[in-house]
Amino acid sequence: MTRKMRGNMFTTSESIEPAIDTNYDLYFGPAHPGSGNFGVKLKVDGEVITSARADPGYLHRGFEKLMEYRIPLQNAVLSDRLCVLEPLNWNLVHAEAVDELMGVEPPERAKYIRVIMAELSRIQSHMIWYGVFCIGTGFESGFKIAFGYRDYILDIFELITGGRVYPAGYICPGGVRRDLPEGAEERILETLKKAEEMIRFEEMENPTLLSRSKGVGVLKSEDAIRLGATGPVIRASGIAMDVRRDDPYEVYDKLDFEVPVRTEGDAYARYLIGIEEMKQSVKIVRQAIDKLPAGEVIVPELRKPKLNTKIPEGEVYVRNEIARGEAAIHMVSNGSKYPYRVKVRGPDFLHMIPLLEHLLEGAQIADVPAIYWSLNICPADMDR
Amino acid sequence: MEVVVEERIVKDIKANLNIAGEVKRSRRILITLEKEDLLKVSEWIKGRGFEHLSAISVVDWLEAGIYEITYHVWSQEDKILITLKTSINRQKAVIDSVISVWDRSAGIHERELHELFGVNFEGNPDLVPLFLEDWEGPPPFRKDFNWREYTGEKYYDQENEREHVYYE
Amino acid sequence: MSEKSKKLGKIIKAIWIFNWFNSCGFAELVPLVGSRWDMERFGMIVVGNPRHADVLFIAGYQTLKSIKRARLVYEQMAEPRVVLALGCCTITGGMYWDSYNTIKKLSDYIPVNMYIPGCPPRPEAVFEACGKIFQHVKEMD
Repeated sequence: MTRKMRGNMFTTSESIEPAIDTNYDLYFGPAHPGSGNFGVKLKVDGEVITSARADPGYLHRGFEKLMEYRIPLQNAVLSDRLCVLEPLNWNLVHAEAVDELMGVEPPERAKYIRVIMAELSRIQSHMIWYGVFCIGTGFESGFKIAFGYRDYILDIFELITGGRVYPAGYICPGGVRRDLPEGAEERILETLKKAEEMIRFEEMENPTLLSRSKGVGVLKSEDAIRLGATGPVIRASGIAMDVRRDDPYEVYDKLDFEVPVRTEGDAYARYLIGIEEMKQSVKIVRQAIDKLPAGEVIVPELRKPKLNTKIPEGEVYVRNEIARGEAAIHMVSNGSKYPYRVKVRGPDFLHMIPLLEHLLEGAQIADVPAIYWSLNICPADMDR
Repeated sequence: MEVVVEERIVKDIKANLNIAGEVKRSRRILITLEKEDLLKVSEWIKGRGFEHLSAISVVDWLEAGIYEITYHVWSQEDKILITLKTSINRQKAVIDSVISVWDRSAGIHERELHELFGVNFEGNPDLVPLFLEDWEGPPPFRKDFNWREYTGEKYYDQENEREHVYYE
Repeated sequence: MSEKSKKLGKIIKAIWIFNWFNSCGFAELVPLVGSRWDMERFGMIVVGNPRHADVLFIAGYQTLKSIKRARLVYEQMAEPRVVLALGCCTITGGMYWDSYNTIKKLSDYIPVNMYIPGCPPRPEAVFEACGKIFQHVKEMD
């Protein structure tokens, strides 16, 4: 056998062709350092991806089921853990759902504090986005700077809510748990200056990032609607969809801000949208602190939480704009103290499964991290 | 608050499809319908500008013996959210898939609900399990699944007194 | 000094870490690498391959699906190896004590050398634990 093969190799010219199949399967994640707890199975031909299949479920803990067996007081704390990168925004969605079911209207001051916290949370989440996007495209300094500046905002969270990452239900049904501490407004304004420094750094054109992300992962606007994109992703594809403006909640209709839109739809456009949104968020927080009225921060009947507070019978669907897109909670109550059914709609559920699969088809292997991180993803709110 | 556009849409639906709708508040419309009408209404409102399917949700009403399925659809032109509500029998949980109307954004929601509730969406080609691996129990989000007992048996050490499940 | 502790001495100079984090770990472990906390000043580096790592950080709740992968990662690591578990959910299940899909006690599945409580643990707590690893490694036999 061996002799025959050797004979073949040296005598005929036909056997020079490599006998390697160029079609193979490639696994991106879950132990890949740049993937988070999420995997994508790629079918590859040479360097080009022919088909992609998302493999979620590494973080599924039955969140909606857990919420059905806890009272709103506990759920306020649990709702932080929906997505670790922006707990305050998820807090807000849950609090609004219970507010609407109970028919309580939070005091004006509480609404402004809620907006300030939600926008600060959006800024820090966009900083994480920038940081991980830099790692995905091989620009380490950007990552270090982003996470350095993010810590200034975490200090504000610690001052106000008591927790660096998780606010432990700071935004609770009926308002917010406690008032801003002494001197918090000045510290927030100082931190906004730091955030602006960060934005200036991000705006500097960076050849590494530009060459890795320009023209990569182009999402057309009709595909964006078809695949259920929301948030920065759909705005980078030319559709101005923002729940804060279209379906205003809290006091967003009294604040002046713009919705940035770009038409290119590639990874670089999404990154630019992120920068523009941070600027708008800084603007919103400044206005909100300026207009912050005096008064109560929580409605009197919910100030002392009671364990057997009944949720009135009813059904609500509450939508919010969080940093990644549209977040919503569908809450149904049958009049007991537990909600009967909670459905959580996270933006990443659609971004990470149908949208990512669509964008990866036909892409190069080297572009996978750039496409993946340009979607601003968080596996935790996808799996729930 | 003004609900002019909302009422016009409800009137349009009544005139074209003979199905009653209800304005819940500004920017919210609720339509309750039979499951046979689902595809017809979906196609009509999609053509009317309701292109963004926000979510599909299933509520398991154990005592009434039904699954209530709600579709939340947003129109970017009119800035209105329509909730389509229909119900199916719990024993025969089959409903038409809306994948032909809202494409893959509907398909992925249906795939999730098929796994968590066991509802069959006819016409959806991709209903393979999404989150759970090697799952043996019934669909976990059903109300009759005694999940705390399941958790206690599966994860908690029966001999150690401190590791007992401690709910009421 | 025994043969083993000589070998372990290598860990003591610099800790190479492989992160196996769920989302909570991501939010508090990644800042450790960032410029404010900067763990490289203690000689701790995050590596991308479990075969190069001395220490495995397991952060947050593990589902049935992810614990299988975590074990694979653990088995790939070369001896001597140390496992640090971060967060309350690795100790008792934490917030998810009654969830049907998360494991409750990590040491039932993987040998754990040290638990760091907190939800999530603060960076100072992680540093303190890493300081104690040096002590711990010396005492290992």
